[in-house]
Amino acid sequence: MFRYTAQRLTLLVITLFMIISVSFFVLHSMPGSFITDPKMPKDVKKAIEDKYHLNEPMIVQYGYFLKDFSKFDFGLSIAIQPKVPVNQILATKVPVSMQLNIFSLLLSLPIAIVFGIWAALKKNKLPDHIISIMIIAFIAIPSFVFASLLQYFIAFKLGWFPIVVSTEKVLTWNKFKSIILPILALSFGSIAGVARYTRAELCEALNSEYMLLAKAKGLTQVQATTRHAMRNSFIPLANIIIPMFTGILGGSLVIEKIFSIPGMGSVMLDGINAKDYPVAMGVLFWYSLLGLLTILIVDLSYGIIDPRIRIGGRK
Amino acid sequence: MKNNTKKNIENKFEFIQLDEILKDEKFEGEAIGFFKDAMIRFRKNKASVTSFVIISFLVFMAIFGPMMNEYGFKEQNLKLTLMPARIPIIEKMGVFDGTKVMNISKDNIEGKYKGAVLQVIKEYKVKDREMATVKVDMYKYKEVKDKYFWFGTDSLGRDQWTRLWRGTRISLIISVIAMSVNIVIGVVYGAISGYYGGLVDLGMQRFIEVLNGIPFLVVIILFVLYYGPGIIPIALALCLTGWIGMSRMIRAQFYKYKGMEYVLASRTLGATDRTLIFRHILPNAFGIIITMSALAIPGAIFQESFLAYIGLGIQAPEPSIGVLLAEGQLVLLEYPHLTIFPALVISILMISFNLLGNGLRDAFDPTLRGQE
Repeated sequence: MFRYTAQRLTLLVITLFMIISVSFFVLHSMPGSFITDPKMPKDVKKAIEDKYHLNEPMIVQYGYFLKDFSKFDFGLSIAIQPKVPVNQILATKVPVSMQLNIFSLLLSLPIAIVFGIWAALKKNKLPDHIISIMIIAFIAIPSFVFASLLQYFIAFKLGWFPIVVSTEKVLTWNKFKSIILPILALSFGSIAGVARYTRAELCEALNSEYMLLAKAKGLTQVQATTRHAMRNSFIPLANIIIPMFTGILGGSLVIEKIFSIPGMGSVMLDGINAKDYPVAMGVLFWYSLLGLLTILIVDLSYGIIDPRIRIGGRK
Repeated sequence: MKNNTKKNIENKFEFIQLDEILKDEKFEGEAIGFFKDAMIRFRKNKASVTSFVIISFLVFMAIFGPMMNEYGFKEQNLKLTLMPARIPIIEKMGVFDGTKVMNISKDNIEGKYKGAVLQVIKEYKVKDREMATVKVDMYKYKEVKDKYFWFGTDSLGRDQWTRLWRGTRISLIISVIAMSVNIVIGVVYGAISGYYGGLVDLGMQRFIEVLNGIPFLVVIILFVLYYGPGIIPIALALCLTGWIGMSRMIRAQFYKYKGMEYVLASRTLGATDRTLIFRHILPNAFGIIITMSALAIPGAIFQESFLAYIGLGIQAPEPSIGVLLAEGQLVLLEYPHLTIFPALVISILMISFNLLGNGLRDAFDPTLRGQE
């Protein structure tokens, strides 16, 4: 287990390094400059670019980047919020995205599990059919379509919630009220995904032989279900909840745009579009790191959650 | 040699039952092959058949929809911007009749909007100014009562009907290109990796791991930014990591079948690797390939719209469903018709393809039914 973890961690570092290097070269080979003012004299422009080493050969720039990168320092932003350290910008943006995702997860998990269990217990009856139709619709319809519809009908027509997210820094009631709609839009997809999974797992567990045995020794249907079937069907569930989290992180990009939430997504897009290399590299790094860590945690958790699965290929 | 044996047999042996008629019953009915079997199961699944019909209809509209009225997809009419939807026949029922509810100053009922106001819904006051919520016939107001923009017009006065179906066409083209490239790469990669196994497999799987580790969004954004937003770059961007799922499925199939006796028999008879891969093992995966392609299309449509939303959509003036949605989002609160029609089309398209894919999976592999 330890050896396997160490192996995977080394692989993670190498992968991360490769991703960052590739993104660095791609970003820097994009045409255009971060200075958008066309009236700026050529020599001033060159002086500014020289200050950030932008006119030197790319391999030299890469050297500078690596030197700072080894200390996790991405430098100062050059276009979005000039002269503010990238890490400081990210420190204000990451919590916003995280907040949204954690709330969405807290909302969707209980609902999804309840729906999944209900559908499995009433398999091939009316509740199951209704939930299955809902699941198909929620999985198929993209979250941004939901976001648009919620924004128009619930926020604008009915006026129950604010149309865009309030800009308050701390989590007040007003702020919470304004992020309900984006949370809802984000949650539909994950509710459907988890509910479908729970239903399938539980259906299989209910038909298994240990359930027959449990009932044979005198347990009622409810007792047998809660004590045996549910426990077993929840084991694999952990493996889809963790990747769901990063999945939402990517999916919230558009939702953030629709509800004008100042989160990570907007910084990344602005950074890339404005050729603000330090900011873009910083965001890419954190996104990649999160993605890779998720995969690693999922793989390691197989062994912890279910000891029957041996890790590392030793038989 | 062969002839000799035959002659010997003919000479020395004698059939004893030649004149007797064999009493076996004749087979009635036709033989049912793999695809026919699947088709029978597919036809029984009402949801998938319905979704197949809906998809065919949408494809038909994507091809012929833009030709159904006189407006072109980039024909601008700056006088008639953001017109509401107006559909003949249905307009008599009070929906899509080219009217719009607006808040205007009360003087304008008799002034600017004279003659076009159909109904005053309510009157109110804002700081001594008398205001009214009224229903205005926009077509009368702009004096184009003879025109019908079925789904309204966008902010440049372009006909939304034409643009919507042209957008559907482009989204479908992008997703079909992405899907086919993904299938080809996935099948070849998975086949090689699964068939040869060992060191080749190890190397190829590590490569996939690295590729999979890169956040797909980042790669796609960089790719589209670099190559520009055309149909082909966007389609190819979706292929960068899209083939991985397919290749895994195919690899698993190869692992399952390559050790089977019939493969061994064929190899003993001298079949080459190529024959074994393409003639003997790959056909077993046809069901999976067809199912995966049906399920890959909604994924590609989703990602295309996603890119459009974050500003990496197809180049103007060409529309795609995602571009239309993103444009509609900007004026959503004022002109919802620009969002609702594309949202409807994309939702129907996604649901239908998902149902079709599920139906195909059940048809090709009945053991999976009811699961997942």
